[in-house]
Parts: sequence; structure tokens; C-alpha cells
Amino acid sequence: MGKKKPVSYGDLHFNTQTEARAFLNAMLGKYDIGDRVSAADAVILSSALALHPDAVQRIGPGIKDFSVRSADFGTKCFWVNRIDGTTQKFSHKACV
Amino acid sequence: MAEGVGDEIATLTKLTVRSELSNLVDDPEANTADKLDWHRLILAGSILARSDMRANQEAGLRIAVGAVVLVKDEKVRDAGAMLLGQLSNFRAVTLAIGRGLVADDLDGRLGVSLRLETQRREMDRSVLVETSGRWLEVNEFQQRFWTGASSADWLSASAPTASGKTFLVLQWLVDQITAGEAKVAVYLAPTRALVTEIESSLEQYLKAVKGVVVSSLPLRTKFDDARAGGARLILVLTQERMHLLANVLGADFLIDLMIVDEAHKIGDDGRGVILQDAVERAVRLNPKMSLVFISPSTQNPGELLADAPPGATTQAVDSDAPTVLQNVILAKQSKGKPKLWNLVARQGGEEVDIGTLQLASSPSSIPKRLAFIAAAATGDRGGTLVYANGAGESENIADFISQLQPDHDPGAVDPELAALAELARKGVHPGFRLAKFVERGIAFHFGNMPSLLRLEIERLFRSGKIRFLVCTSTLVEGVNLSCRTIVVRGPRKGKGNPMEPHDFWNLAGRAGRWGDEFQGNIICVDPHDGSAWPHGVPVRSRYPIRRESDAVLDAGGELLGYLEERAVGAPRDVDGDGDFEQVGAYLLTTYMRLGSIADAELAKRHDAAFIKNLDQTLSRIAAKIEIGSDLATRHSGVSPIGMQRLLETFRAYKGEPDNLLPAEVASDDSYDRFVTIMRRINASLFPAFEPDARAKLLALIVFQWLKGKSLAEIIRRNIAWHEEVGKAYKLPDIIRETMMLVEQIARFRAPKYFSAYVDILHLYYVEIGRQDLIDADLDIGTQLEFGVSSRTLISLMELGLSRMTAVELFEKIARDDLDRDQALQWITERADELDTMELPVVMLRELRERLLPSGGAAMTGPQPV
Repeated sequence: MGKKKPVSYGDLHFNTQTEARAFLNAMLGKYDIGDRVSAADAVILSSALALHPDAVQRIGPGIKDFSVRSADFGTKCFWVNRIDGTTQKFSHKACV
Repeated sequence: MAEGVGDEIATLTKLTVRSELSNLVDDPEANTADKLDWHRLILAGSILARSDMRANQEAGLRIAVGAVVLVKDEKVRDAGAMLLGQLSNFRAVTLAIGRGLVADDLDGRLGVSLRLETQRREMDRSVLVETSGRWLEVNEFQQRFWTGASSADWLSASAPTASGKTFLVLQWLVDQITAGEAKVAVYLAPTRALVTEIESSLEQYLKAVKGVVVSSLPLRTKFDDARAGGARLILVLTQERMHLLANVLGADFLIDLMIVDEAHKIGDDGRGVILQDAVERAVRLNPKMSLVFISPSTQNPGELLADAPPGATTQAVDSDAPTVLQNVILAKQSKGKPKLWNLVARQGGEEVDIGTLQLASSPSSIPKRLAFIAAAATGDRGGTLVYANGAGESENIADFISQLQPDHDPGAVDPELAALAELARKGVHPGFRLAKFVERGIAFHFGNMPSLLRLEIERLFRSGKIRFLVCTSTLVEGVNLSCRTIVVRGPRKGKGNPMEPHDFWNLAGRAGRWGDEFQGNIICVDPHDGSAWPHGVPVRSRYPIRRESDAVLDAGGELLGYLEERAVGAPRDVDGDGDFEQVGAYLLTTYMRLGSIADAELAKRHDAAFIKNLDQTLSRIAAKIEIGSDLATRHSGVSPIGMQRLLETFRAYKGEPDNLLPAEVASDDSYDRFVTIMRRINASLFPAFEPDARAKLLALIVFQWLKGKSLAEIIRRNIAWHEEVGKAYKLPDIIRETMMLVEQIARFRAPKYFSAYVDILHLYYVEIGRQDLIDADLDIGTQLEFGVSSRTLISLMELGLSRMTAVELFEKIARDDLDRDQALQWITERADELDTMELPVVMLRELRERLLPSGGAAMTGPQPV
């Protein structure tokens, strides 16, 4: 069994990666596809996205806001909408 | 008649029908017409012509036509022409003279008394067109219509298909709007195909008339202009578009005159209720307007006058007089000889043997039967319509007919047919089968095709360049397209339902081009096959008009049960067909508006005890509905129960309220948002986009359509989507399926349910104090109906371009915010460069004819019949 690793998104702290992942999962679950993510959730997601292994590439020129949109095989995921009008999906599971 | 000239009429029938068909096996027993006693026959014809009975008039017409067409003796031909005049069939007389069958100066050859009688008849049978000061020669029905429509407030006219109804109604409408007081008139046409056709015909009539415009868009610009004293306006609208316009205008929806074409469709499932609702809504807002209903061969046109306001004068004009001979021919395979088909013509209750038709090959399937019989009977002539039960079958039959035509030289294709093929390849798909068929003078035609393509097919069929047209029920739905011959086997309407007799006769009525032909043929294949014709080939008769709402109300307890269940269950769990949903919505809305169904006009047509029961049921349901009656009225056919449930869904929504809105189509979220909204509509309002799994494909089509993508592009993307998700497809099927989805989902269901969704959402936003989220821009229903979301595209369509051409042109225009004048200016400035823009020829022609009249060729739209 691996070592427990705490995760923080801004002021929000989780004792383990599993907890952080479950939190983001629940956040994703409350949105329908096509929804814009609320301002409060967007703050958390910004911090989360910073932890993504490809953060620099995903964030690009800067974050405008986030959406929940469809992903492959009927699933849904978070998308970052950038200030230059481009958009990119990312897996919240990688943000831990 | 049977004892008098029955045998001679049978002989005449045989001879006239044989003269119309090719590939008949020689019949040594066939008499020649010259052997008949024409003196006696003409006398009989003139007596029969005085009768009011259709069978007698038909016999008179057959004698007249026989005399003109079959006989060598000029005196007999003159007498035949006189007899046609006696039947008020002046167009047939003109045709006979035009074809050289009757020599010019017929009057000069008559004695004084006969000449006086002829002139008196012609004067009696003329009406004055006020705008032109010209006298128009008309038949008896047309005359009664003209005088009736000009004197009564409400008029309902019914006559057989080839009686010149549409021609006359359009003349009368133009006369009323130019010479009369009317500023705004609405012409309700129940299908988009008919809307396009009527609009083109009116434009043709109004070319020389200043100060009148025609539009089929439910936008207020031209309406406000007309009301403010600018150009008068004729709006040609489907019932759905009329509701959209009434929603935009509210209490300003003030019109002076309304014509309801194909008014018998008030009895159709679903859309019949929306039609009835549209008429009632217009009358409520305009109790003093003139109203004219027209319908083909109905028994009781007066039924539609029952709801006229108190004090309004009403008149029913009803005719059953034939204008062209219509030969119903039954085609049955000879026993053991599949290439030989025995033909008999129906003559009253009798059957007259016509002869044997020889086919080129043995037909091993039903589509082959239709194709081979059509090809053999038509021979070198054109003008044949083959009725197919569905779009896919129409393509296959067209394919067989094309294979039976002589080899053609690909380099020698008629330029107009080549232009149509180009439009099919560029505007739909390079593999669209229509393209290669039309190069050989054969086409298929169904309702979901884009209107520019369909109109061009109809035009080239009328001109004779397309010789065979394989069609589906769209033709019965009121396109004014006539032909020489119809070939039909077990016709179905919609999804496999045997065609009702009145629909069959509406179709059959298209055989015989009045003024272009003396007769038309309806070849009914396999008449004795019970699976094809469950009730046999329908006998000619007139059929009653019955409102769909009245028919459903007669279901009594079943309807009450549905309403009770609908009020408590989720929409997808409620048993019952669409008819109950539509009529239920109509009744509940009426109840909410009046407070009691007993006060509605419909109550007088039903049992008082049942109405009382209905009132109690509706009262229980209405007590739980917070949606106002104004809002319910705006969405004809959408149940207020569903609307209430949707409002509750919004109230229970825990996310950000702006997530409930459709996102702008330019936004990345837009497509996914559509998917969610469709699922929300399925769950709360009505399962219009079921199953949920399909919502993704439907949303994709709606999204592309709204983005203003061309049909060709939407088809390409649908193919790409299928490939992406690994779904197998066949090219012809996917082309047809995409066209169907555009028409049925993007242009019909989506506008209906999305506009109700947005309205309820606005109500919710007001409730929670978030009016800031309400966008007063063009409403989503109108955007979806036309498939546009940019101002420039709307402007191009407002200028009169088809969506197909507007979209193609928009590709070349940089700005997306041009108003009408700016868009016109853009085009005018580039008039010389249009040829270099690589637009298909048919689109270029449309552009020139509609927007650059000085540089355009002569208008070649459909001719009024």
C-alpha cells in the first residue's frame, strides 16, 4: 500500500488523494453536460488544474471559466475555457 | 343514360384511354370513333351537360372530348367544342384550338342564334378582376366562388382537385389586397412545400403590381410596415409559423383577410388541432376579418362555417363538376404471363376492357411492377407520376425506371437537368442518387428534401424535361402538381397506414392537367390484392370534413382517462397516442382561457353530459396549474400539464440558473447544453427527443442547423459522427435520414418544444428575480424553423432567398450582422462577380430572379394551375 499523500486546493485540504478525487468526482456529478461551472467551484478547479501533470499546456494563455461537457463513451468531464476562446478537456483524476 | 348511350360511352372510354397509353397489344376489335353516331351522341351530351349529377356531366365531357380528339369530321369537332363551352370548360376549348384540333374562328362558323347563345354563355361565365379591369372566363364553380367570396364574411369552398381552385383563389386574393381595403392577409398552407409554392405563384402574379409584398417569414418588419401604411402584405404561413408570428406580435396581430388552403386537414392527427387552434386564435384577435376555407372534394364544406362569429354572413360553395376526364384504370397481371397486364377502366359501376399492356421485362418485386408498368404505359410521352410508399422506395423505383430508358449520351444532358444534378451533388451530397437519375429525365420527390431542390424538380416536371417523377405523400399534402398519368399500388400514408379514400382521390385528382390535357389516367396496380388495397380501389366519392378535436372528443371516457393519467404520471409513462396529447392540450388551454368548455364553440357539437364531465376533469387539472392561459395559448399542441411540470423541474434545479438556458451556438458548451435540454424536455414536458440515448445525435443535427450549416455540411458531419462512433451506415439511407432529422426534428419538434421550454424558463427567471438572464433577441422557435442564428442569414432569407442559397452565399459574406438593406447592397455591388463565386447554377438563378430582376432571366417559378 502506498503512502498517504495530502492534497490542497487553495484553502481546501484533503488527507489523501482518494479524498480529493472523490470531492472532484462529486463536484462533476452535480453538473449536467453543457453546464458552466459556478464561480465558487471554478476557484477550486483552478487550484486543482494547477496540479495536473500537463497544467501548463492545459491552462495555456489563461483560464476564463470551466464547463462540464461530454467526453468519450457517454461520460462527462471538466473542460477549461481559456481567455483566447479555445477550450480543452482535462481529467480531474489527474489533478491530485 | 345506361339505356340511352351507355354502350357508346363505353366504346368512347376504351378509345380515349387507348389513345393515351403506349405499348398496348393490338386489338383488332377496337372500333374506330368515326363509326359512332355522333349526331345522336352530341345531342345526348348536350342534354347530359344540363344535369347537376357528376356522372352525367362526366359522360357529357367524355362525348365532347371524344368528338374533339378522336373524330376526323370537322363539323363533329366543332360540335364537341360547343359542348365543352356548354360545360363552361373554356380552357379545354382553348386547348383544342391551340392544338389545331378545332379550327380558329369557331364563332364565325356558327349560325347567328348559336353564336348569340355562345356569347351570352361566355358573358355569364366571366368575372371582373377589379385591379386589371379584365374579364376572366371561369367555370360555374369559379364564378360562385368569386361572387360568394366577395360578398360573404366567411366562405367555405370545395371542388375537385383540377377545378382551378388555387388559381382563382390567388387571383381573388391579389384583387382583394390591391383593390380592396385589406392591408394584411394571411394565407395558411398546411405544409412547407405548399407555402413555398404559393409564395412563388403570388410573386409571379404580383410582379407587375406595386405596393404589395409577399413573405413566408414570421417576422414583424414587413407586418409593421403594412400596418403603418407601407406596402400591403400577404403572409404565406404554415399553422406553426402563424403561431410563431402571433407570439411575436401579441395583440398587434391584426389581419384583414385569411385564406385556409387544404382546410380539410383540420381533421389530421396532431397538426389538424394546431391548424384549428391557429384559425381560432386569428379569429379571436380579428373577429371582423374575412375568412375563406378551401378544400378538395368534400361533402360538407359548410361544417367549417359553424364557428363563425354572430352576425357574420357565411356561404358554402360546393362543386363536384369534372373539368378533365379522369380514367381510373385497373391493371391486373395476365395469368401465368408476368409481362402482360390486363387493363380495365372503371366507368360508373361498370368495368370497360381497355386491352393488354406489354412490359419489357418480368417484374419480380413490387417496386419493379410499378416501374415497369409506368415505363411501358408512358412510352415516349412524359408526365408520369409514380406513387411510392416511402422515400427509400421512391429512390429504388426511380432507379428501375432509369435503367429502362434508352442509353443516354452523358455529354448531351439538357442544361437545366444538368444544373439540377449539380444542385443535388453540391447542395446535398456528391453521392445523392437524384443527380444521376435527373440527367436521364427521372426524379424522385419527398417531403424532407430542401425546398429549392423540390421546387426545381416540380418545375422541370411541369415543363416536361423530367418525364417520370416518383413521389411520396407530400404530393397529396397539397402540392399543386398535375400530371398525365399516375401509377399507384396500395398507397400508404405516413407509416404504413392505408391511404384514406379522400386522400386517394386527392392524389388521383392530380391526373389530368386542366388546360394542358383533355384527360388523365390513374393506373391502379394489383387492384384485387387485399394486402395492397385492403378495402379495394376506392370508389370516387366526396368525403366529410371532420375536425380532429371532434373525432378525439368522441373517444369520450378514453380521453378523460388520458387526461387524468397525464396529470399525475411522468410524460413518458402515460399511455395514449399523440392525438390525445394534442387535443388534451387544446382543451385544457381552452378551459384555462374560458373557465369552462361549455362556453366554447365546440361544446355545441357534443353531448352536454360529456362536456360537463370534461369540464370537471379539466377543472381538477387546471387547479394545479400555475401557468397562465396566455402562455399556454402561445404553444399550441404543448400540454399545460407538461409546462407546469417543467416549471417545477426548474424550481427544483440546484445549479446556477443560467445553466438552464440554451447556450449561444457559437459557444463551446452549446451542443452539450442542447443534449441536456432535450433530456429535460423528455422528462418533464413531452418525450419529443426519445430515447435519451438518441438525444446526442438529435442535438448534433439541431446544433448544426441552428449554426446555419448547409445541408451538405450537416450530412458530412453526420457521416463523420457515424464513423467516429463506429456505427455502420449506408450512404443513401444516411442522406435521407439526415434530411428527415433536419425537417422533423430541427424544424418541427425542436422549435415547438424549445420555444415552450424557453418561455417557461423566462417565467421562472421572473419568479426568482433573474430577469437579467432573459434575452429579448430573436426567439428560438423562429431561429430553429429557419435554421439561422445570424442577422445576415435572416436578412438574406427575408429578401426571399431559400435557406440553401442564403447559406451558400453567407459563406462568402464576412459580416454576420447585415440588415436587409445592407445584405441587398452587398449582393448588388457584386452583381458582376456572382458567376465567379462557384455557386450552383440553380442558386445563381434564384439569386438573380429574386434580387437582381434587371439582370435576371425570366421568372420560371411554378405556374398557377
